[in-house]
Order: sequence, then C-alpha cells, then structure tokens
Amino acid sequence: MKETQAIIERISRVNTGFQRLHLAVDESLSQIKPGQSLLARPVEAWNPYLREHWWPVTVSAANMIVERPIESRYEPGQVVSLLGVIGQPYRYRRTLRNVLLLSFDTPPTALLMSIGWLLGNRVSVTLVLLGSARQYDTAHLPPELEIIHGEDDFSWPDRVMTVGWADQVFVTVAPDDELGRFAKVWTLFKELRADIPSNYLFGVFQPELPCGVGACQACLVGLRGNTVRTICQDGPAIDLTQVPLL
Amino acid sequence: MAFEITRPGKNSLVVETPVMPAAGIFGFGDVYRDLIKVEKLGAIVTNPVTYQPWQVATGTRVIPLDAGVLVHTGLPNPGLSKVLNQYRGLWDRYPMPVILHLVSTTVEHVRRGAERIDEETSVDAIELGLNDDVDWSEAEHLTKAAVQATEKPVLVRLPLHDALAVAEAVMDAGAGALVVAAPPRGTARDPHTGKLVSGRVYGPLVKPAVLRVVGQLARKVDIPVIGAGGIHTQQDARDYIEAGARAVQVDSATWIQPKIIEFIARDLGGWVLTREVGALADEWHPGIGETERKARDAGQPAEPGDVSTKPTA
Repeated sequence: MKETQAIIERISRVNTGFQRLHLAVDESLSQIKPGQSLLARPVEAWNPYLREHWWPVTVSAANMIVERPIESRYEPGQVVSLLGVIGQPYRYRRTLRNVLLLSFDTPPTALLMSIGWLLGNRVSVTLVLLGSARQYDTAHLPPELEIIHGEDDFSWPDRVMTVGWADQVFVTVAPDDELGRFAKVWTLFKELRADIPSNYLFGVFQPELPCGVGACQACLVGLRGNTVRTICQDGPAIDLTQVPLL
Repeated sequence: MAFEITRPGKNSLVVETPVMPAAGIFGFGDVYRDLIKVEKLGAIVTNPVTYQPWQVATGTRVIPLDAGVLVHTGLPNPGLSKVLNQYRGLWDRYPMPVILHLVSTTVEHVRRGAERIDEETSVDAIELGLNDDVDWSEAEHLTKAAVQATEKPVLVRLPLHDALAVAEAVMDAGAGALVVAAPPRGTARDPHTGKLVSGRVYGPLVKPAVLRVVGQLARKVDIPVIGAGGIHTQQDARDYIEAGARAVQVDSATWIQPKIIEFIARDLGGWVLTREVGALADEWHPGIGETERKARDAGQPAEPGDVSTKPTA
C-alpha cells in the first residue's frame, strides 16, 4: 500500500458513456494485476469527499489507463493522488482455458483489465452483458473477445453451453444490493449446473471504500463459518461458495 | 514535549504529541503502517471492541455526502479476547500508548472487559464509548463499572447531542478524560437504492458543532477534554486546543488523506516548522501555535494546556 501521485496525460472517449484517462504513474504501480484497483483523489477540495475507485484497463512500466464515466470531469495535466494497490488479483486456475465474465446491471469496468491479460495468455473469454449493462458500448474491446448481449431476465443465447464450458466465472453486479443480486446469480448457476465447485464462481464486489486499507470496516463481507473478509484487502473477488447467499 | 491527557494521578496518560486517531478510524494500529509513520502519533485508539463478538451490519454501509460521508458498520469485531490475542504483540512494540475503545453494552460486560484489559500490559488506557441514547444515570453506572475494575485511566467518549448533560455524571464517576464527541448520527438517502439509511456522519462540517461543545465543556469540567470531530487540517486541530481541548482525535480525514494525521501530530508535537511568513526569529520557535502567537500579540500568557507554551530545542 502506497500513496503516490499520477499525472493525467491524455483523455480519450471510448464510447458514449465512458472515457479513458492515460496516466503517468509511479513505477511501483506497474505490478498491478487484474482485480486490483486504486483509490484516486483528483482534487484538493473535500467535495467530493470519498476517493474515486479507479479500475485500470491496461498497465505498462510507468503508464496506466483507467476507465471512468463520461460525466466525471478531468483535465490533461491534472495531478491526482492515488492510494493503492487495493485488493488482491483475481485467482485464476492454472489450467484455465475458458473464462466467462458476467456483468449484471453495471458496466464491466472491473473486469476489463482481465480481458487483455487472459487473451494474451491464450485463454478464451466470453463477456455477457445483462440488464442495463447491455447499454455498454463494446466497439473498443478486443475482437478476440466473444460478447453476448443478454436480457433482463438473466437469459442469453446458448446459456447452458457457456456456463458448462466455462472453467471460471467472474460476475459484477450493480452496487445497490450486491448480495441480493449475487444470490440471483447463484440460483441461476445452481439451475444450470449439477454442482458449483469452489474456485469456480466469483462475485466481484464493488462497495464504496472509505479507507481502502481495512480500517473502517465498511466493506466487510460475512462468510460461512462465522468469518469475515474485507473487500478492500481480501477482495474484490470472493468465491460465492463461501458466501451465505440464501 | 509531554502532554498529560488524563486527570493527574499515578496512572495518568502522557503522550508526546496531543494527536491521535479517533476510534473506528485506524483499525487496530496495523493497517496504516505502510502509509504513515505511526510512531509519530501521540497514541493509538483502536477500533471499537465489545466484550463479546459483534456481527457485520447488513444493507448499505457507506453513503457519500456533500463534503462528507455517512457510515454504518454495526461495529463488527471478534470480541475482546480475540482482539487482545491478535494485536497484543503489535501494541507491545509501539513506543506510544495504546488506548482500547471498549463499547459500553451492559454494566456487567463493561466491568468484565475492564478487568480483562487491566491485566494487559500492552494496553495503556480504556476509552469507553457510550451509546447515543444513554442518560446520565446509565452513563455514571457504566463509567463506575469500568473505573472500579481497572487501575488504567478510563477516557469516556460522549455522544455529541447529550454531551453536556452526561459529562458531569461521567466525571463524578471517575473518568480520566472526556472525549468529545462520538461522530453524530444522521440519516441520508442511498443514491443506489433510494432508501433512507442511518449511520454516523463524518466530514469537515462536523467540526463547528463539536468545537462549540468542547469549548462549553472545557469551561465546565476540571478533567481533560479531548476534541474529536471534523479535523481536516492543522488549524482545525489548533482550534480545538484553543477552545480548551487538551488533545485531539483525527477521524475520517485519515481515510481520505492518510498523511494528514501525521502532519497534524508532528505540528502540534512541535516537530515541524510553523513559522509564519514574515515572523522574526524572536517571535517564533518550532512548534509555536496560533494560540501562543495571538497571546503574545495581545501581551497575555497563553492558556494552560496550550500545546505551544514550551519551546523546543
């Protein structure tokens, strides 16, 4: 964990809802991996108060690209305070061949960095956009990525096949009721598969993170066996077999 | 510098700088070690601990506000015994005092908790957190239970809205210092769900409300008052000292800009240069504060307890 500064070098618009910030960052952040994120403070003022949760899309030696909603205002040359790295990398299986990414009522921003990483490691990736996530324009995403636009009722073409074929699944949901939405996902997968093994179905939690270091305990998730995990330290991806959803 | 932040006695609590984190802000002293020099703080105040384990709150826990945040966690913790077992080694290694924040649940749990803490050499004092709806009689019983069960100083954190009513009862019950105050409770609408959520409010706007009560209490009671609420700058902290606080606790500013608490601690501890632009050498020394400067300008000595009354080398 470190507090560093970054400079916004360039801003590019990627689709109707999102922009990408091209940052010059401290070299220590080049080690960031898919699943990990940063807490950013773009302005010195106390409003907005909480740090923004920034998800990297690509990272090189001293450069990073993050994706932000188009409504957020930034300027080239702006200096930003970054707190991170937040969280743990996604835990991929060693013998991974097919990964299913599922975004339900929320943009797939938290999953984007993993797409390039997985494709670069010859893992085939399918991204399913459900509910309001269908509005996310995907024209800028890699052509090797299979993109499926589903429906509001959790259905999408070849659903049984994509679920059965996936070695691992990572799901993001809208932040209004993460546990409730993950419960729906869990129910769906219980219908589609005879068994949900551990290390297969992960919920990617994205709560507001006041501190990012595990001090405020606002991001605790209760797990089976009366244990707890902090999303900012142990997340964002939590194996849903460990979460008492139903 | 040395600051006595509890009532005088053989076990009074002395710190090198009158700045510490507020309860619930700093974890158990373990999580900010990579970001700041924790040893520069006057003391560590732990996250709230209950005698028995408490579970995580359900539903929305964080709501961003204009220049602030509302947080509702339910004070999850594994219980006093587990916390002591887990962090005893770390606290032993810190050079500054460790103040364990004990949530006041029942008189019996407070008594047992204080007895357990009394045996711990790694903990130097107890901060007893009172519920918001506590009345003066209950506050007195809870404080007495803690004070009679331990020889360590017992600081009592008061609810903001009732601080004046409860303070005297707590003082008479033997409290070593008053921490004013717990973050005020508020209600805000969750922008994601549209539901109203209650929790504790943090942010710069809390400071004026707490500062007023600190000033009133500092004139009313004869034990040290520790100001806590909305401190975001060195000047905020000095305002509390000027109002009569013996020390301050920094809260959510630490989450947003972790280094701020270290800056304030160094500043009020006299470890950074605070010379004003244009000040002559004989008008200034390292650690000089606003209070002393103004007192000098007015030709009066600074108030007792002012952090800047002693020059440093």
